[in-house]
Amino acid sequence: MFRVVALSKSFGALQAVQDLYLDVPANSVTSIIGPNGAGKSTVFNLISGALTPDSGAIMFQDLDITGYPPYVINRLGVARSFQITNIFFGLTVLENLRLATQSSEPRRQFLRPLRRFRRPQQRASQLVAEFGLADRAEEIAGNLSHGDQRRLEIAICMASAPILLLLDEPTQGMSPTETMETDELIKSLKRQVAILLIEHDIDLVMGVSDNVIVMHQGRKLAEGPPDEIRRNATVQDAYLGRADADT
Amino acid sequence: MTKLAQNVVVKGVIRAGGLLPSALCRARKMLSMPRGGLQAASLTRIMGLIAVAAAVVLPLLVGQFYIRLGIEALLLGGLALSTGILLGFVGLLSLGQVAYFGVGAYISALLFLQATGSFWLVLAAVVICVSALAAVIGAIVIRTRGVYFALISLAFSEVLHKIAFNTVALGGSDGILGIPAPRIGFAGIGQIDLRDDGQFYYFALGVIVVIYFAIRRILATPFGSVLSAIRDNPERVPYLGYNPFWFRLLAYVAAAQVAAVSGMVFPLLRGYVSPDLLSFETTTRSLAMALVGGLSSVLGPLVGGGVITFMDSLVSSLTERHLLVLGLIFVIFVMTCPDGLIGIAARRLTRRERK
Repeated sequence: MFRVVALSKSFGALQAVQDLYLDVPANSVTSIIGPNGAGKSTVFNLISGALTPDSGAIMFQDLDITGYPPYVINRLGVARSFQITNIFFGLTVLENLRLATQSSEPRRQFLRPLRRFRRPQQRASQLVAEFGLADRAEEIAGNLSHGDQRRLEIAICMASAPILLLLDEPTQGMSPTETMETDELIKSLKRQVAILLIEHDIDLVMGVSDNVIVMHQGRKLAEGPPDEIRRNATVQDAYLGRADADT
Repeated sequence: MTKLAQNVVVKGVIRAGGLLPSALCRARKMLSMPRGGLQAASLTRIMGLIAVAAAVVLPLLVGQFYIRLGIEALLLGGLALSTGILLGFVGLLSLGQVAYFGVGAYISALLFLQATGSFWLVLAAVVICVSALAAVIGAIVIRTRGVYFALISLAFSEVLHKIAFNTVALGGSDGILGIPAPRIGFAGIGQIDLRDDGQFYYFALGVIVVIYFAIRRILATPFGSVLSAIRDNPERVPYLGYNPFWFRLLAYVAAAQVAAVSGMVFPLLRGYVSPDLLSFETTTRSLAMALVGGLSSVLGPLVGGGVITFMDSLVSSLTERHLLVLGLIFVIFVMTCPDGLIGIAARRLTRRERK
């Protein structure tokens, strides 16, 4: 479904990602873990089109999407969330979602009045309910709590009905309760999309993932199901053994 | 002295660039926040009605001088609106909208003088020419951001200013004189004679009202929502599947039309057009209008156009240093009240509501 082949990217002398292979099957959760600076976010930036790789290929549903601009990649069915909450803070929750749902409508209809644009509107209201934001639908997104904002960000991603969902540290800055809710959310989303997850909360990763990839200094250190990764000595040495709090 | 005044204005512009985003965000929140019985939509509607009512009765209360000043205020308000919607609704600080105002004015002057007396033909010519020009210039300038966008758009308008100043066929520094004011026919229903100041006034008001509703209508579409998303968080927009380039370009071209149509009517008032119309002074004046009126609504720049034009006329009858006063007002508004007169009015109205 989604494959990354021999992906490399360097910034000057820094090899951020080196010869990386990834495979994300449909309806599964694949997690990427690793210490800060391991190249995890660079991988997301390469996949979502924010950066162009130096070499290698990104294959999505048998289509080579390497070097495509972000808006094309999104329209093909890859949605991403951001490590630092990246929503439309000055718009309402509903507007945030409608912007994402209306994106799949034909552009030639974009000058019709909003109130006749029913389908995206309905879909947005539906999402508001699904993500438990119904009572905050008319609130300016900037006024939401941090946890609600993180949830809205995932809702925005789901609004474009993606096939592959890239989640960049969804629990960043969340309380333990909110993290638990996110855990359940990811498990339920798995029924709809394939998920590639970057996360520092190891318990969450081990709980939701079908496959875990450990990155270290731009390279893949290990790959396997959660149990296997937990037992892997190299991984423990490089990452799991140390308490590595994210900033 | 003018140098000093310009200095003050330029410093104000830079200051505005830094302060605006956060202040605008606050202003917009206030305007769009549902509260009490007075919703944002009804709030802007009330203010719009007051403004239109004031504009409609004005000619009944004042003499010819002020009617003509009112026409000027409306048309310069159109220019301010062109700058204001780009800044307030797309997040682009353009210092070059005056280019389209000027091009509209020059095309109108040349055609009315030498080719046709038909307003509609000239309008079509202006719209077509300015669309093409704005598409080309826009495709270049909107690739830049923030202060670079401001400066490169200023550069383009300065180039056009110098072209107008140095081209003999366009009258050089004298400009073009003796432009006849046309009669505008409305398909057999009747006609408006622009030689009559009263008729001209209501015609200009009609043009501005049409532009105002057209903009409101465009902003209330999915296209308008994408523009507000671009203003709010441009980096995020591509990840929703939109190519911001086309949305920005279309908005830029549309804003250019607003300036051009206002500019096209402008020379018919006095019968002449001069390169001064394209100068940086006109730019700063239009920016001051937009800011003083307020950028969080479509109405703001138009209100600013009225206030600044009348104030400027008053001040210049008292002192030659009216530009300095303009600059000071501009700076005071940017620093103390970035959401402009509309923001002040909105606060007044909502406060009364709460009591």
